[in-house]
Amino acid sequence: MTENSATLDTMPKLLARNVSKFGDSPAFREKDLGIWQTWTWKESSEEILKLSKGLIKLGVQEGDHVAVIGRNRPSLYWSLLACQHIGAIPVPLYQDAVAEEMEYILSHCGASFAVVGDQEQVDKILEISDRLKGFKDIVFVDPKGLRKYDNKNLHSLAHILEMGSRDSAELDKELKRRVEKVTGDTTCVLLYTSGTTGKSKGVVQTHQAIIGASGGANQHDSWTHDDYLLSYLPMAWVGDFMISVAQGMGAGACINCPEGPETMQVDLREIGPSIFFGPPPLWERLKTSVFIRIEDAAFFKKVAFKYFMAHAEKVGRDILEKRKVGLLDRLKYSLGNFLIYAPLKNMLGFSNVRIAYTAGDLISAELFDFYRSLGINLKQLYGQTEASVFLTMQGNDEVFSDTVGKPIEGVELKIAPSGEILYKSVGSFKEYYKNPKATGETKNKDGWVATGDAGYIDENTGQLRIIDRAKDVGKLKNGALFAPKYVENKLKFFPNILEAVLFGDKKEFCVAFLNIDMTAVGNWAEKNNISYSSYQELASNSEVANILKEHVEDVNMALAKDSMMSGCQIRKFLVLHKELDPDDGEITRTRKVKRAFINEKYDDLVSALYSDNGSVDTKTEVTYEDGRKGYLEATLSIVDATIYQLQEAAE
Amino acid sequence: MNEKAPKIMMEVKNINLRFGGVVAIQGVSFDIHEGEIRAIIGPNGAGKSSMLNVINGFYHPQEGEIWFDGQKRPSMEPYEVAKTGIARTFQNIALFKGMTTIENVMTGRQLQMNKNIFWQMLRYGPAIEEEVQHRKRCEEIIDFLEINHIRKTPVGSLPYGLQKRVELARALAMEPNLLLLDEPMAGMNVEEKQDMSRFIVEVNEEFGTTIALIEHDMAVVMDLADRVVVLDYGKLLADGTPKEVQSNQAVIDAYLGVPH
Repeated sequence: MTENSATLDTMPKLLARNVSKFGDSPAFREKDLGIWQTWTWKESSEEILKLSKGLIKLGVQEGDHVAVIGRNRPSLYWSLLACQHIGAIPVPLYQDAVAEEMEYILSHCGASFAVVGDQEQVDKILEISDRLKGFKDIVFVDPKGLRKYDNKNLHSLAHILEMGSRDSAELDKELKRRVEKVTGDTTCVLLYTSGTTGKSKGVVQTHQAIIGASGGANQHDSWTHDDYLLSYLPMAWVGDFMISVAQGMGAGACINCPEGPETMQVDLREIGPSIFFGPPPLWERLKTSVFIRIEDAAFFKKVAFKYFMAHAEKVGRDILEKRKVGLLDRLKYSLGNFLIYAPLKNMLGFSNVRIAYTAGDLISAELFDFYRSLGINLKQLYGQTEASVFLTMQGNDEVFSDTVGKPIEGVELKIAPSGEILYKSVGSFKEYYKNPKATGETKNKDGWVATGDAGYIDENTGQLRIIDRAKDVGKLKNGALFAPKYVENKLKFFPNILEAVLFGDKKEFCVAFLNIDMTAVGNWAEKNNISYSSYQELASNSEVANILKEHVEDVNMALAKDSMMSGCQIRKFLVLHKELDPDDGEITRTRKVKRAFINEKYDDLVSALYSDNGSVDTKTEVTYEDGRKGYLEATLSIVDATIYQLQEAAE
Repeated sequence: MNEKAPKIMMEVKNINLRFGGVVAIQGVSFDIHEGEIRAIIGPNGAGKSSMLNVINGFYHPQEGEIWFDGQKRPSMEPYEVAKTGIARTFQNIALFKGMTTIENVMTGRQLQMNKNIFWQMLRYGPAIEEEVQHRKRCEEIIDFLEINHIRKTPVGSLPYGLQKRVELARALAMEPNLLLLDEPMAGMNVEEKQDMSRFIVEVNEEFGTTIALIEHDMAVVMDLADRVVVLDYGKLLADGTPKEVQSNQAVIDAYLGVPH
């Protein structure tokens, strides 16, 4: 693209550009009442400007923080953009956050308004609104269930739009004045980090940073206004903000919003996006579901699937990456494509996918090969909220499962002596909101930002390789390296294991907590006539424990071959009686393990693993979806696993 | 909500229903106010479902009168009753198992589709227009009951709780004035019951639909209902607000049990 970033350095400018350049192409789609509704850039812009004026009329001032909470839908994306037009700062929040979590963020940023999706969010805010200083009004999109609410601070979005569309020269003038005041240095969005350690921090990002970073990413993968994507990841997550708002706006691409979280899979198939972003658990879940269904398929289908998947494994990646492949193999791949790959991709909704991204966590080589051999261009990228996501990305023909790519344009990387990755980027954050101490600790005077991740540049590929969170890397008592995430990921590659937490820093040996995957293990139980009524019952089944023991020993075997990691072998483990849950604060909303918290909460279990007991009684507090608390009691058995010696030593 | 002179929507007077020598209902009278949630409770075999079947025209009582909308109702067949704006769900789900959710819900619009078979076969012009309108209404109900994700799933393969919801959707598609629910929460787990209760309240509030329901879960009944009728061995045992009924000694003895 030839536009220079100096002229298009704010969201309002990008919107105006999109209207004049791609005015009649689709900008937003949403499935409503079973039918996909489309808004072109022109129509979207009209809605955004009406909404901007409506919000001005409602009393939103420049510099006000406006919370945006709800599932992905055009009207909420428009609300974000409307806030940016009128100089207010949008603060997207996780829609499944409980009221107390919201209270923390809303009072931290001093939000004065909130635009929310439905009654559920309204209820949560009303519950805490007494304690929020300076909070004024709530705007809701879906009026369902809200008819009887008698509250003068509650407005429907339709009403706000109506206020904004009333012809008023004064409002137009005020909007124009405010839009002109927005510059590249104006705050574009305040995003709260998921907070793997302690309370989440508010990351202040300017228009320039957001547009700079997303522009670099768009250029790297040549996004155009013909691209279309499905926006289904939480709006509060930086990834969705960058992709659905920044990259979408930057390229003029079309954003498609599913009907709801449950229909995502169906909607994905209907839309068949050209670009798709999924976190590693999603890719794992999809692959697991394919294999579960193949298990249940007829004999012929099963054989054909196995045969052609083996062939895809052999040549699929080479074909995708445009390397030399023999004619016969190509023909066989085409046949496989006709019979297996294409229908499978169609089922998954990936028929038209040009680029698929994964980020946020390590992903197994097998998983990577599975998708790439089918012809799905799955690539890794690395980034963080503080960097407006994009730091490194992989090119189409240099994709590896254990590295995360090279720095994109505008990003400079260096590795600190401690092993921590540092960067300087156009997308670097301005500051942590109201937290100069943390800002100073993360970003130095020269603009280098510490990622908190340990890693190095891989010599063979020239790409960045991540080891673990810098502060999680520790040492066992005997001095061996302890890198928990590395081992946990290896465990999680088994479909039966949903979540794993490893302990061992400053200890004699490593132990682990495991969560079973209800889909995979449930399917197995059904096949083997094992009845169960709850997660807890299935998790405590002794046959399940045996299966997991095999998995753990497989991992131990693999670790034994790696001289760096052999100390991390798991000597004992237990299957937790409940799933780790963000509502209980055990993992973040983006499913990252909160290590210190779990260590403290399950202190009794950890010490039991380091004792000689064969089982342990425990009582755990759980939070239900409606915020109530209850207790779960269980007796967990502790399973011993075999430890293997270093292979070299044995030979 | 009906403190001031509630309007009586339906009144059953002195109903007697016998099957041969078996007396199912014996001289039962009560009324249903417009806009309320009316619960009918009682032990097994008390005549609750029979009562719904009488209201719905499936059974014809030997004696007694049914007044609906201020008029005495002549003996009617179920489809005639349905035309007067009374819809119901069944204790044992009565959906078309091989059809999808949307198809099942669309059958609820059957009575309101007027174009003849020839237009419908043509799939063009007025018949299609009519179908589009009805489909829109059905989609709104599907959205309301949050069953979008199973819109095109055959109902036979759905879990029980969802099937119950589809049945409610089909009954709502008739846009009834009076909705009869026969054990809407039987066999559900706590979460499904919570969902269903929420939907029943929302239907009542949003659409203003009057609801008469049979339910065994006392906690649910006492929470949901504005007024409760208690039947026992085909006879009326009590009639009043949940509080009144709960403290009625005859009801406690017959049904609720005594706290130990």
